[in-house]
Amino acid sequence: MKIRKLLRILHRDLGYFIVGMTVVYALSGIFLNHRHDFNPDYKIYFTEFQTDINSAENVDEQAVKKALTNQEMDVVYKKHYINNQGMIKVFIENGEAIINPETGEASMSYLQRRPIIFEMNKLHKASVGTLWKWVSDAMAVILLFVAVSGLFLLKGKRGLSRWGWWFTIAGVIVPLIFAILYI
Amino acid sequence: MKRLILLGFLSILLFGCNNTTQQKGNETAEKSATVYSVDDLLANAAELEGKEVTVKGTVMHVCKQGGGRCFLMGSNEDTNIRVEAGEKIGAFSQEQMGSDLTISGIFKEVRTEADAHNPEGEHGEGEDHEDDADTEEAHRVISEAQDASEVVYFIDGLTIVKEEI
Repeated sequence: MKIRKLLRILHRDLGYFIVGMTVVYALSGIFLNHRHDFNPDYKIYFTEFQTDINSAENVDEQAVKKALTNQEMDVVYKKHYINNQGMIKVFIENGEAIINPETGEASMSYLQRRPIIFEMNKLHKASVGTLWKWVSDAMAVILLFVAVSGLFLLKGKRGLSRWGWWFTIAGVIVPLIFAILYI
Repeated sequence: MKRLILLGFLSILLFGCNNTTQQKGNETAEKSATVYSVDDLLANAAELEGKEVTVKGTVMHVCKQGGGRCFLMGSNEDTNIRVEAGEKIGAFSQEQMGSDLTISGIFKEVRTEADAHNPEGEHGEGEDHEDDADTEEAHRVISEAQDASEVVYFIDGLTIVKEEI
């Protein structure tokens, strides 16, 4: 079989195969790119409210649970302790709260996973164990092959030796400029 | 083509399994059978350093940039130990904050810059990044605890034995 024909077949079939992974990495890549602008994994809700607590003494689990009722979010108490500043720090499911025992003022941050994006980010960061590390390496090799093989598919006027060459060079120069200027 | 893909998958699975088996065989750190509290672990730090230990504590902070590490607290927030998730655990999640985790890992002393915890470095030093109040407070508590210690320790996590919400 001619090499170009084989490349075309492999590029086509492996290309179909790698679409899913490419979408995962591209979408999660956008969110992770903006990790300093917003939390890529969670949507964070922040709320301030007033509680009836007016002293650090006798603040038990029941008192803290009572203080956290009537919130918009579904607040499930985990545990609490008095921190170094004398504030009541409360761990809740999917968040935490701080209560000033002197004034009763409280603030709470509540996390909500970004559906699908959270899972994609975990896959992208390869934080799902050793096996995934190797699977994603293999996927990356396949993507590399699809990219490079695409260069050699077309012959003639729109092939790599004429038309394609300039676009390829431009695609390399853009990240190269940023690397030279900023790294 | 289908045979090629199937062969590729089988190779990856075999390689992955073999690699995992080899990694298990390579762990030569002495293992301690006791489940330590964070307080007890730090009290016996000198004799436990370099050994595989199991520690139970409350998760007081999970690194918000990827969950690559968490801090377990003992009797108070000044008594805490950093646990690196590493490859085996993968990552800790924000949902684990406030949970009691029992974790096995290699108990180590911070000896090099690479071992040390540097929140600014991991989150992008010099970048225009502001932590929220909870994170800043957690980092402050952790830094103060580390500054107060003559020797700083951490755990290279291997597995989460138990999680209690």
